Amino acid sequence: MKIINCPHIGPRPVTEFAISGILDPEPEDLGEYTPARWAFERNSVALERVEWWFHVPSQLWFLVRRETASNTIIEVTAARD
Amino acid sequence: MIRLLKYGFSETHAEPAWFHTPRELKSSYDVVIIGAGGHGLATAYYLARDHGITNVAVLDQSYIGGGNTGRNTTIIRSNYLTPEGVRFYDASLALFRDLSTELETNIFYSERGHYTLAHSDATLRTARWRAEVNKHFGIDSEVVTPDEIKRACPQIDLSCGGNHPIEGALYHAPGAVARHDAVAWGYGKQASHLGVEIHQHTRVTAIERAGSRVTGVVTSRGRINTECVISAVAGFTPTVLAMVDLKSPIEIFPLQACVTEPTKPWLDTIIVSGSLHLYVSQSSRGELVMGAAVDPMELHSRRSTFEFVSGLCDQILDLFPFLGDVKVNRQWAGMADMTPDFAPVMGTTPVDGFYLDAGWGTWGFKATPICGKTMASTAASGRDDALITAFNLSRFDNFQLVGEKGAAAVGH
Repeated sequence: MKIINCPHIGPRPVTEFAISGILDPEPEDLGEYTPARWAFERNSVALERVEWWFHVPSQLWFLVRRETASNTIIEVTAARD
Repeated sequence: MIRLLKYGFSETHAEPAWFHTPRELKSSYDVVIIGAGGHGLATAYYLARDHGITNVAVLDQSYIGGGNTGRNTTIIRSNYLTPEGVRFYDASLALFRDLSTELETNIFYSERGHYTLAHSDATLRTARWRAEVNKHFGIDSEVVTPDEIKRACPQIDLSCGGNHPIEGALYHAPGAVARHDAVAWGYGKQASHLGVEIHQHTRVTAIERAGSRVTGVVTSRGRINTECVISAVAGFTPTVLAMVDLKSPIEIFPLQACVTEPTKPWLDTIIVSGSLHLYVSQSSRGELVMGAAVDPMELHSRRSTFEFVSGLCDQILDLFPFLGDVKVNRQWAGMADMTPDFAPVMGTTPVDGFYLDAGWGTWGFKATPICGKTMASTAASGRDDALITAFNLSRFDNFQLVGEKGAAAVGH
């Protein structure tokens, strides 16, 4: 079982988490993007990315930096308000 | 007679050659297809058979059918939710029925009947909706009661361990399974007989353009001139799209599956449950072929996990408690091109001469024949085939999505 190192309560199994997608805040100015292109376009190749993860038992959100070819978790930080 | 006797008494028997591909790449082809899976090889076959285009190369970074063609759970059905989807998948099913004869290859096509279980009123409503859309298009699809499910599959626990009692199911009599490798091999064999070249272990590294027109591809074995490139690379679509500076909404998620040790034949239907995230059928070898939903996170590798097997077994034991002693023999994963609306992305693109057969997520195997046919006609004419216009990449620019989630997710 893959273990995630939770900053609050230590190592927890990955099955306790729900993943809510990549951290990608909407920019103030979309620039060359149309709203549809900004909403839908992705670049799903192997790379490091920061994602929103939710720990279901404790109801807490985290930002997880992960590499998507090896599935290595590089950094887990607690989300702040 | 003498030849037969000689053959019988000879010590070694030459394997009949399925594919006749020269060792070297030519310097130019009319069409280059990236990906020698079912979709790519079917496209090559119909290009040659229906359009007389035989100067075709099918390139694969690995071996024939080694991607998602050989990794899916082989379920074939057409009880989708949208009119576009229903028409398309039903045309595929019609081609599948005659495919063994057409390809002179036994694909072990076996109609089993397909039950999509409903464990809640909401799921039953979606089942009714799908049944009515299906019937409108002449497809054999109906909602059945728990008693009817029990008659067709006496081993099922209708109470589902008391957790999620079964309230009914969407029943699709033509639902079938087939030998997935044989589909790719059969298409490859016949395409090869018609003159198509299949080059395995040939990775495309770049696509060359002049202005907005494709002029060639660069491969790990040299450069090729071509004005027509078709990408049929489940799991690697974003990588190929980057070669022509296109973007899409496709995200890669791993889809896992497993088989148990062989048991006596007892399950002659296909059982699917969206609520339990599982589907199961029994192969002709007696193994239970089982799968679940995609993993929850994007991933660009084919690792398989213990979480998957333990989660799936937990659910399957609710349906079939007597399987507690049966062991899981093998598990594997594929990389699925997921789209936001659970419909494929097919046809022409803003790059002239670059055609896309992608976004096949977890629902691509059943579409193999019709994909081949429609992609061949699209590439031959330069215009989207009438069956696939709704699936063009441009639908995301106009918010014209083809909402297929209710029928494509989990329910293979």
